[in-house]
Amino acid sequence: MESTKALNAVLPLTPTVYHMLVALAGGPRHGYSIAQEVEELTDGRIVMGPGTLYGSLQRMQAQALIVETANPGEEGTHVERRRYYEVTDLGRHALRAESARLLRAVTVAQARLGT
Amino acid sequence: MTPAPSPGSRDPVRRFYRALIRFYPRLFRKKYEADLLLVFDDRRREDRYRGTLGGARLVLFLLRDFAVSRPTSRPPGAPSPLETAMNDFFRDLRFSGRMLVKNPVFTIAAVLTLALGIGLNAATFSTVSGLLLRPLGGTHDPDELVQLYRHWPGMQYGSNSVPHYQDVRDRTGDVFENVAAWQFAPVALSADGRSERIMGLLVSANFFQTYGASMELGRPFLPDVESDGPGAHPVVVLGHGFWQTRFGGDPEVVGRTLLINGLTFEVVGVSSPEFKGPTNFADAPFYVPLMMQPQIDPGNNVLEARGSNSMNVIGRLRDGMTVEQAAARMEGVLAQLREEYPAYEDQVGNTLVLQSEAGIHPMFRDAQVGMSAVMMAVVGLLLLIACVNVANLFLARARERRREMGIRLSLGAGRRRIIQQLLTESLLFTTLGAGAGLALAHLAVRFIGSIRPPMDGPWLFQIDLDGRVLLFTVAVSVAAGVLFGLVPALQTARPDMVAAVKGEASERAGGSRVSNALVVMQMALSLVLLISSGLFLRSLQGATSIDPGFADPGHIVMLSVDPTLQGYDDQRARAFLDRLLAESVALPEVTGAGLTTHIPLGLSGSDRGVEIPGYEFAEGERSSLFYGWISEGYLEAMGIDLLEGRRFTRQDDEAGPPVIIVNRRFAEHFWPGQSAVGKVVNTAGEERTVIGVVETGKYQSLGEAPTDYMYLPLRERARFGVSLVARTPTDPQTALRRIREIVREADADLPIFDVRTVEDHMGTALLPARIGGSVLGIFGLLGLLLAAVGIYGVMAYSVAQRKRELGIRVALGADRRRVVRMVLKEGMRLAAIGMVVGLVLAGVASRLVSGLLYNVNALDPAAFLGVPMVLLAVAALAVYVPARRAARADPILALKSE
Repeated sequence: MESTKALNAVLPLTPTVYHMLVALAGGPRHGYSIAQEVEELTDGRIVMGPGTLYGSLQRMQAQALIVETANPGEEGTHVERRRYYEVTDLGRHALRAESARLLRAVTVAQARLGT
Repeated sequence: MTPAPSPGSRDPVRRFYRALIRFYPRLFRKKYEADLLLVFDDRRREDRYRGTLGGARLVLFLLRDFAVSRPTSRPPGAPSPLETAMNDFFRDLRFSGRMLVKNPVFTIAAVLTLALGIGLNAATFSTVSGLLLRPLGGTHDPDELVQLYRHWPGMQYGSNSVPHYQDVRDRTGDVFENVAAWQFAPVALSADGRSERIMGLLVSANFFQTYGASMELGRPFLPDVESDGPGAHPVVVLGHGFWQTRFGGDPEVVGRTLLINGLTFEVVGVSSPEFKGPTNFADAPFYVPLMMQPQIDPGNNVLEARGSNSMNVIGRLRDGMTVEQAAARMEGVLAQLREEYPAYEDQVGNTLVLQSEAGIHPMFRDAQVGMSAVMMAVVGLLLLIACVNVANLFLARARERRREMGIRLSLGAGRRRIIQQLLTESLLFTTLGAGAGLALAHLAVRFIGSIRPPMDGPWLFQIDLDGRVLLFTVAVSVAAGVLFGLVPALQTARPDMVAAVKGEASERAGGSRVSNALVVMQMALSLVLLISSGLFLRSLQGATSIDPGFADPGHIVMLSVDPTLQGYDDQRARAFLDRLLAESVALPEVTGAGLTTHIPLGLSGSDRGVEIPGYEFAEGERSSLFYGWISEGYLEAMGIDLLEGRRFTRQDDEAGPPVIIVNRRFAEHFWPGQSAVGKVVNTAGEERTVIGVVETGKYQSLGEAPTDYMYLPLRERARFGVSLVARTPTDPQTALRRIREIVREADADLPIFDVRTVEDHMGTALLPARIGGSVLGIFGLLGLLLAAVGIYGVMAYSVAQRKRELGIRVALGADRRRVVRMVLKEGMRLAAIGMVVGLVLAGVASRLVSGLLYNVNALDPAAFLGVPMVLLAVAALAVYVPARRAARADPILALKSE
């Protein structure tokens, strides 16, 4: 019950948040890496500036979709100064539910368009 | 060569972004600033954002990013700023509510004090606005309406004659869209078998167009009611109120008829409910075309009479015209008229007054504005006292809570939050006070609106709490709330924290000086208020104790009829009046009765020029003297003493020799040291012989100096509106009922008016003093009450603060009585200072109101000595109670209490 309520509070996800969750689904990432992944996932259609990126991360954290986590062992420039994020159970549920919804919509659309 | 991978802080794009970040909410910036810059650096290293061109592209990208990103300014789960403010507010409100319930005495004192101040202000303002500021209802663009008066020697705002009005109307078309005329006309009206005397309006055909008044039913008058000449169109427009009460709002009323002075008039329209007529104080029952005047009042045709000034004239300015332009045009017209009618217009000038500034009548405007100003000043003073009082109460309490505030401050409460809390508290009190005050005002206004002048007429005092009044009240109460909320708030927000927490805040310093000053101010203001009301009460007393010159007016009844209104000829009128007088005298309830044209102390008086053989009137001496026509029996019924000679009898009629009775003042004026009987008075072309001298009374007003007066025999000419007066030793109402029956039997259609005892009739003369005295008396008592509460509050607080010191004194063996005396002395010192200041102010104030007083010196000793005595006694009591409590306190407890 509790999780349904929490889920309903965050759904539907905005495209940005959806893709950020997708990016995080593979494991913890830092901010810039999330932005890059999202850009790649959307064929460059969603390019997040720093403000948009951290604004979204702040909100997602407040909604308990993600949490901050430790560096999983990456190396590179300034890794010690970067914040890493990972998706929470709620985030995973939300991603799953949103994906199912999109899938249904896609199926219906394809059936009607006859593709 | 490409720039370094990390351009560092000298990169202008990076410096730009650092600056941009500053505009993010503080909380977000604090947490993410480093991350934002890291991501910036990552981006800057990307191929597309490298170099100068890339930098420019990045700036655009960052600006867009800044614009679309919506970071929140609060930590996760925290409420929004609005929510925080609302939460704070509701917490403050709850807290204030608790404080309110916890200190019921304080609450009641503060709320009641404010309610009185605010309520009386709202009521007074409503009255002033109802009479002076309210634009005429139901009119179109009332700002364009101008009243046209004329002035001549001895008359400042004179009326216009009908021919004069017509000339002005026809010659000022370039400045006025329309010029209308109207006058009140007493008529007898019969409809549905009921007959009454009523004040209707005679109006020009363009009356409704000029005012821009719309119709509820039917139509206004058409131009042909004027162009077709006198008497052509017996039509009438009903006022909305009259249509409702007299015709039950009959939607089919247009086409029905009613009898006015015995003539049939057809109803053509009903005015809109908003338009109550051309004045603010009457609800016009109906309007009859001016051209019907000769038919309504035969024998008094004013249509052609250039010398008969009875019309009120009003013009509507053309678009873009100013009063000054209209006045200039009127001067031109007047110059022409002076040449055409030198006899009538020679000494005449024009006075133009904007309708919205005319008030009841410009003639009364000064008195009206003066009285209103006095009232407003008095209630303003009362509100000031109330505010001082509440400020004092709050101040005392704020100091009581200094320790609490100190603790809250030291625990980290923001100063702003504490001030906010105190302001919330004071605003809560003001809101409650304003609410209670409005309820009070509502009652007061209903009471004032129900006051009627003791004369029959379609009076209408539209005094209600309108939006403007509400706005004024709210403004006053908010001002009061800020006034008394802010001073203590500012004081409490900067206490010496350590001292406050330790409970050692030095009480002798700042705070108590402020409240001492407040007590002094309060005493002074209360004294001004009380002395002013004392003066008015003395004036009322003075007025009622004046001998009007006739005995026991509570047992004289009066009733007026006007046979001419029913079209009686001379003979019929005589027969009717004979019958009325004879049958009234025969009533077992009546011991004496008579007829008169003028009952003393009404609003009307007639005078006529006299010549006395052997007497030379001095330059500027008044040779036109007041007179009345009376029948036999009048002097006896009124109880006016005969000093010499004889009274009128039935035989003093048109067949007898011309005779006259004069009063003592008249006799002593013209024939000092001689008997007046047998002397001759020339008046209106007749030589009259004095047959009697009676005691001097009051004729126009109770305050007047002894006045010459003449009585002429009514039987000489019977065609008048007359009043019957009858003395009855028993219940006046029974006698009145019997006399009414006599009139009804003689002529059921003859309207009866002004039916009352002479005592009630005299109420007119006493009205200003009575209203002024009773209203100010009530205000004065309230002021006294407020002052007592204020002094008590301050002294009680000061004694409580000094409990420890007083306890030590008692413990060291000080006599308790001496302690009481000491506290008393301190309190009374403040009271005395206030008293001196107040006496000076009251002296100034009394000079201002002296013109409104009857029979009372502006520095009346009873008011100037008695009132301070009472106030001192009240102050002493207010100080004594806490002083005794202080002396009774157990010294051990007092010492241990802190």
